[in-house]
Amino acid sequence: MSAKSRLNNFKSFIKKPHNIILIVLFVVLGYLTLVPLMTIIVDTFSVHSSEARFVKQPVGSFTLYHWNKMFASGVTSQKTFYEPFLNTMVVAFLSCVMAIAVGGFFAWTVTRTNIRCKGFISTVFVFPYIMPAWTLAMAWLNFFRNSRVGGAPGLFTVFTGIETANWFAYGLFPIVIVQGLHYAPFAYILIGGILRNMDANLEEAAMLLHANRWQITRKITLPIVKPALLSTFLLVFSSTMSAFAVPAFLGSPVRYQVLTTQMFRTLNGMNPGYGYIMALIMIVIGVGILMLNQWITGRRKSYTTITGKSSNISLFNLRKARTPLTIVLVTVLVMVAILPLFSFALESFIMAPGNYSFSNFTTEFWIGAGRADIANSEPGILRNPSIWLGLTNSLKLSVIVSLIAGTVGMLAGYSIAKRRGSKLSTWVNNLTFFPYLMPSMAFGAIFLSMFAVRRGFIPALYGSFWLLVIVGSVKYLPFASRSGINAMLQLSGEIEEAGTIMGIGWFKRMTRIIFPIQKTTFISGYLLPFISCMRELSLFILLVSPSTRILTTLLFQYNEKGWNQYANAINLMIVVIVVSFNLIVNKLTGASIDKGIGTN
Amino acid sequence: MPKIELKHVTKRFGKFLAVDDLNMIIDDRAFVTLLGPSGCGKTTTLRMIAGLETPTEGIITINDKIVFSSEDGIDIPPDKRDVGFLFQNYALWPHMTVYKNIAFGLENLKWSKDDINKRVVELLDMLKIAEFSHRYPSELSGGQQQRVAIARTLATGPKALFMDEPLSNLDAKLRMEMRTELKRLHRETDSTFVYVTHDQLEAMTLSSRVCLMKNGYMQQYAPPLDVYRRPINTFTADFVGSPNINLIHGSVESVSPLVFSLPGDIKLGFDPIEKMNLEVGQKIILGIRPEHVAIAEDASMVEATILSSLPSGMETIVQLKMGDSYLHSVIFGDLDFDVEKKVGLAFTSGKFNLFDEESTNNLGQGRLKKA
Repeated sequence: MSAKSRLNNFKSFIKKPHNIILIVLFVVLGYLTLVPLMTIIVDTFSVHSSEARFVKQPVGSFTLYHWNKMFASGVTSQKTFYEPFLNTMVVAFLSCVMAIAVGGFFAWTVTRTNIRCKGFISTVFVFPYIMPAWTLAMAWLNFFRNSRVGGAPGLFTVFTGIETANWFAYGLFPIVIVQGLHYAPFAYILIGGILRNMDANLEEAAMLLHANRWQITRKITLPIVKPALLSTFLLVFSSTMSAFAVPAFLGSPVRYQVLTTQMFRTLNGMNPGYGYIMALIMIVIGVGILMLNQWITGRRKSYTTITGKSSNISLFNLRKARTPLTIVLVTVLVMVAILPLFSFALESFIMAPGNYSFSNFTTEFWIGAGRADIANSEPGILRNPSIWLGLTNSLKLSVIVSLIAGTVGMLAGYSIAKRRGSKLSTWVNNLTFFPYLMPSMAFGAIFLSMFAVRRGFIPALYGSFWLLVIVGSVKYLPFASRSGINAMLQLSGEIEEAGTIMGIGWFKRMTRIIFPIQKTTFISGYLLPFISCMRELSLFILLVSPSTRILTTLLFQYNEKGWNQYANAINLMIVVIVVSFNLIVNKLTGASIDKGIGTN
Repeated sequence: MPKIELKHVTKRFGKFLAVDDLNMIIDDRAFVTLLGPSGCGKTTTLRMIAGLETPTEGIITINDKIVFSSEDGIDIPPDKRDVGFLFQNYALWPHMTVYKNIAFGLENLKWSKDDINKRVVELLDMLKIAEFSHRYPSELSGGQQQRVAIARTLATGPKALFMDEPLSNLDAKLRMEMRTELKRLHRETDSTFVYVTHDQLEAMTLSSRVCLMKNGYMQQYAPPLDVYRRPINTFTADFVGSPNINLIHGSVESVSPLVFSLPGDIKLGFDPIEKMNLEVGQKIILGIRPEHVAIAEDASMVEATILSSLPSGMETIVQLKMGDSYLHSVIFGDLDFDVEKKVGLAFTSGKFNLFDEESTNNLGQGRLKKA
C-alpha cells in the first residue's frame, strides 16, 4: 500500500464520528481504569507514609511486607484476611441464594400464575433495589436492635418485651436477609425478563408430546432458564461481594468483618497496603466471574435467540391458593418496601431512643435550633447548614454524573454498536464494563491515591468536588453504556444512513433521529447513574472532604456517632428523593431501571 | 378415523371476538387449509382444536369423541387428543440435540431405548437429516430446523397433524421444496393435516379443502379449485388467485337482454347460465379472472388502452384501462406489448361470476358477450 493511500485510509477513518469517539474513549478510559489498576498493584508492594514506622523502610520503597502479613503471618493473617475473606464468600453466596430464591419466586409467580395485584407487585418489588442498600439494614436495626449491643432496644423489643438474640440482630443472619432482599429485585428483573421472553410454544410443544407439568418444568423450562439463572447468580454475587454499607451497619456491632469493612478500616487507618491487596483480590474475583459468565452465555447451545410469538401462555391456575398467596406476597412487600420508611419517620421524631411513648415525641431533630445537651448542639435537619450542603452536593453530584455517564454511555453504545466486531470496539466495550467489576471502595481508594498529587495537566484533586464527579462517572458508565448498546443494536443502521443520504449532519442525526427513536432506553441510561449516585456510599466515603460531603457520607457519620434520629431522617430524605424521582421519570418518559439492567 | 368436527365454536378474548360460531367438518385423511388475512382467527381455531386454547363456547369432536364441550364442561388436555402440532417458529428446544428433540415424545410414552432409537433413525432418514442428529438447533439452518420440527411432531405417530404457518420463515426456494415434501408426507403418513396459512398459493397447491376466514367468520369451505372457480363472495374471489381477480363495478342497464353498464360508458352483454333475479339499476360487481381477458387486434368486444406490460417469460401481465375501470390480463407466452397502445379485449373463454355490490355475495355465473 502506498503512503498516499495509507494516508487517505487514515483520513476516511478519522472522518467518521464513531471512530473518533472510540479512540477518545479508548485513551480516556484506558487512563481512568487501567492506570488505576497498575497503581493498585504497585501500591501493594510499596511502603506508605503511615506504615513507614513499623515497616522500617523509607516511604515509597519496594516491600513484600503487606503480602507477607496478609497471607503468611499466622494469627494476623487469620484476623485481617482469611476470616473476613471467608465471611465475604459466605455472605455473598448466601445473599445470592436468597436473592435468587425470592426474586425468582416472585418472577415466576408474576409471569406464570394467575396471581392478583400483578401491577402492584411488580412496581413495589423494585423499591428495595432503588433504595439505598442500608435502608433495610437501618430498618432492621430500628426493629430488632437489642440493648446488649445497641444501647436502646428496637421497636420489636419495646412492643413485645422479647430481647432479640445477638445472632438475630447483628452479623451474618441479618446481613444475608437484608442483602438478599436488596438484590432480589435485580434477580426478579433478569429472571422475569427471561420467563417473559421465553417462547410459550416451547412448553406447549412438550405438552403435546405427552409431558406432564412437572416434566415440562424439569426438562424444558429449567434447562432453558438455567444459563440466565447462573449468570444472574454471578452478577449478584459480584455485587454482594463488594457491598460495604450493609455489613458496616449490621456487622460492626458484633465485629463481624468482611473484606469491604476491613478494607475501609485499613485504607482509612494505618495499613493502606493491606486494603490495596484486598481490593486487588476482589477485582481478580470480579474479572474471573465475568469471564465465567461470558463462557456460560457463549456456549454451543446458545439460548439468546429465544424470542418468539410469545402467545397467551396458559397461566398456572393457583385455584384456592390464589387469594391467600396474593395476601402473603403483598404483606411481604409492604413489610420490606414500605414499613421501613415509617420506621425512619418514627425514629426521627423520638427524643430518647427506645421510648415510643407520646411524650417522648419531638420535632427537635427536624426543626430544632440545636440544644447543648443533645448531639453537640447539632441543629435540626431542616435548619442544619451542613445537611443542606450535603443535599445540594448530593443532587449536584448525581445530576452531573448522570449527565456525563449517560451521554458518554450513549455515545459509547452508539460507536461500539457501529463498529461491532472490530478490535477497537471490543476493547472499548470491555473498558466501559470494567468499572462494574471494581469494588466501589477499592475504586475510590485508587482514585484517591492516583489523584492525590498532580498528574500531568490534571491538578491534585484531593478534596475537590470534581474528583467525586470523575469517580462517579466512570463507575456508573457500565449501566449507561449497556443501555446505549442495547438501544443501538435494536436500531437498524439504515435508519441513520437514510439521514446521511439526505445530507443531515452527524450532530443533527444523533439528536433528531437516533435519540428520539430510542428515547426510553437512553433515558434509562441517565436514570440509573442518577439513582445509584444518590444512594452511593462506599465509592465516595474515602474521597469526601468537609466541603464536599454528601448525604450518604453524612448519614454514615451520624450513624457512627450514634445520632440515630439524624441518620434516620437523612435516610428518609434520600429514599423519598430517589423513589419519587424514579417514579416521575418513569411516568413521564417510560424509562425505567429494569431497561438499564434488563440485559447484559 | 380421525374425523374432526367443530360445532358452534366461538372464542372471545375479552371483548374481541376472535372466532364466531364456526361449524366445520374435517374428513379423515383430508388436507385442510385455514386461509385468511392476519388476525382472522385461523391460528386461534387451530389452537382450539389442538387444545392449546379453550373455546368460549361450542363443541369439538375428534374421531367422534368429544374433546371439548362448553355445555358439558369437557376439556380434554392436548396430550390426550393424539394430535401433533408444528409451530410457526418450530419451537425446537435449544438445550437438546436433534436426536433428543425427536426422542422426547417417545420417552414420555415410556418406549424402550431400542424402539426409540429405531423410530428416531427412521424419521431422521425420512426427513433426510441423519447427519445432523447430534447438533443443537442453533447450529442448523432454517430449512433443517423445519425438518427436525416435522420429525419431532411425527415421532409419536399422531393421527392428526396441525401446522401453523410452518413455511413462513423459509425463503422462496426452500418453501417450494418443503411444499412438495409436505404433500409427500401427507400421503405417506396417512394422517389428517390441518394447515394454517395466509398464502393463497400454499392453500391452493397443498390442500384438499380450503376454509377461508375473515374477522372470525368462515367465508367459504370448499376444495381450492371450487373456491377459485366459484367464489362465494368478492372477499374469497379476491383472496385466491394471482394476479388478483378483476372486480369491475357497474350496474344493470337492461334485464332482457341482460346488459351491464360499466364506468366510462362501457356496455357488456351477459348470458346467465343459471337463473338469477336482477333489476334494472341494481349495482353489481363483475368478476373477471385475468387469464380470461384476451387481447385482440380488432376491437372485437370492447376497446382498452395498455397501461403497462410486465413480461416474465412464461407469461406477461398487462395492465389495461377499459373505459374508467382498470384491469389485469395474463397473456401466456414470451410476449411484450407497447404501452399506450389501443387494443381490443375479448372475454370469450371461461365463466364469469357476478356479485351483488351491496351484499358482495355471488349472484351466479354466466358468459360475457358484445352488448
